[in-house]
Amino acid sequence: MTADARRPRIVGFLCDYAVSREGIVREDGTMRDLPNVTLIQVPCSGFVRPAWLEFALRNGAEGAFVCGCPLGDCFNRLGNNLIGDRVAQMRRRLERQKIHPDRVATIYHGLHEQAEFVAAVRAFSERVAALPGPVVPAPRTAAARPPASPTRSPGTGVTGGAPGPAAGPGAPPGEQEGG
Amino acid sequence: MYKRLLRRLLGWTLALDVWVNRVYPADFNPLYYTGGLSNLFLTILVLSGIFLFFYYVPSFNDAYTSVQFITAEVPYGQIIRGIHRYAADGFIIAILLHFFRNWFTERFRFSRDEPWISGMMLLVFAGFIGVTGYVLVWDQRSALLVAMTGNSLASIPLVGGWLRSALFGGTGLTNLLLPRMLYLHIGPAVFLYILLWWHYVRIRHPKVWPPAVWTLFALGIVMLLAGVLPVTSQPPASALSTPGRLAVDWFFLLPYVGLKYLPPLGLILVGAVIVAYGLYIPYQLPETETELGIRDSGVAQVIDANCTGCELCYYDCPYDAIVMVPSPHPGVTKAAQARKLLAVVLESRCVECGICIGACPFEALELPRYLERDIHEKVLSACRSET
Repeated sequence: MTADARRPRIVGFLCDYAVSREGIVREDGTMRDLPNVTLIQVPCSGFVRPAWLEFALRNGAEGAFVCGCPLGDCFNRLGNNLIGDRVAQMRRRLERQKIHPDRVATIYHGLHEQAEFVAAVRAFSERVAALPGPVVPAPRTAAARPPASPTRSPGTGVTGGAPGPAAGPGAPPGEQEGG
Repeated sequence: MYKRLLRRLLGWTLALDVWVNRVYPADFNPLYYTGGLSNLFLTILVLSGIFLFFYYVPSFNDAYTSVQFITAEVPYGQIIRGIHRYAADGFIIAILLHFFRNWFTERFRFSRDEPWISGMMLLVFAGFIGVTGYVLVWDQRSALLVAMTGNSLASIPLVGGWLRSALFGGTGLTNLLLPRMLYLHIGPAVFLYILLWWHYVRIRHPKVWPPAVWTLFALGIVMLLAGVLPVTSQPPASALSTPGRLAVDWFFLLPYVGLKYLPPLGLILVGAVIVAYGLYIPYQLPETETELGIRDSGVAQVIDANCTGCELCYYDCPYDAIVMVPSPHPGVTKAAQARKLLAVVLESRCVECGICIGACPFEALELPRYLERDIHEKVLSACRSET
């Protein structure tokens, strides 16, 4: 019951060839059964940059996933295998930044497997809901100025390269004294 | 109407996939490897065919006895002959599965028309090679096949008679017939490999071989069939007795069954129309803009300033649409300043799938109508919305 009550905000990237959007997605992109999940259409699951999943996590989403066609059945070639590998590599990077790697996932379902897809997303949502702690570890200074982190972090997410170190040395000195 | 039928066939194909995926893990789903299975059977055919070639004698007097000699005297001859025969059936089955699967899942779109057209030619040649193979045995079925083919060809107005004598080396049965059939059995088989090169040339990472499990399984099935149902010849062909009925191999000789119901010219016309339509499939019903939707995002563009020449997009592009050229000038960003290479997108091959965008860690590639910025906006609006 408690798991149902808590609905983590989740962003999903959905391959255009994979699960059909008909009947499971509302006008605004959220899923009919799971209003906490927003689906973003992409031309192929291989199109997704892993940095975008991290970007979503740093901007308020508690979980992010990519849905592609069943492995071996990419309309193009190996797009779903590629994104699977990239997300697997990304887990290490997330761990290093103290973000729980289970917050990202890949799901593989074909055009007509809507029921299975919804079930998989629901399971992912419940798993994310059960994860502890804040999504992005607050920098030590965040306690002083809580609203600062959500507004500042988009910039760090976009430039991708090295968000942690780049933001770290620049910001703290003044603020640490404040905190 | 026709479109709805195709969509339903797509649905059935995918449903079949799901069902097979329950039995096998997706890595071993044989329906994902129909092309690789065809290639495997072709390899088996070539190897066993080379073995048979050493013993076969292409003349009226000796052809039948040489086949009997292979079957009875040569060590493992019976098995090799059976392998050659059943692998041919497997070849046709795998090709047809490959054909229908790629048709119904629309894998002929965009720059994939070249694999499709070369695939149609491979299908036609495979059927032709199968028929010439049946003639080589020179039993009663072979004689009947020659007669039926000759009569059908002769029924074509104007060029028919010339075609028949060109194929069989003169009217009636001449000494040229069997050597010519032997050449037409082996020559086109070599040509298959040229077509296969064309079939693969535009595809990166083609799945040329099935997983090892399926290689062993297909080999096992073929050998088992060769042992359990040994291949035999019919009585030898002779000018005196005319065989009444055709023992049909349903995979190769299906068109000859049609002769029962259609006049020869009609049958040839039907065949020609089927092949012509097959060649036309990639160009009919191009997807409209609304159907394309998000997939119509424009040819991928390289952002010169950011490209570091790392070749990641080049390795991942499914259609070989990205080439690396020597960099004419250094890039702008720090990472791109020392680059030796620059990625260039060939517009005619790009299908706008965006796999290169996901491959690029330096933000040096974008789809013009679906930028990274748009994605960020969508993510942000999703995160701001009330849950």
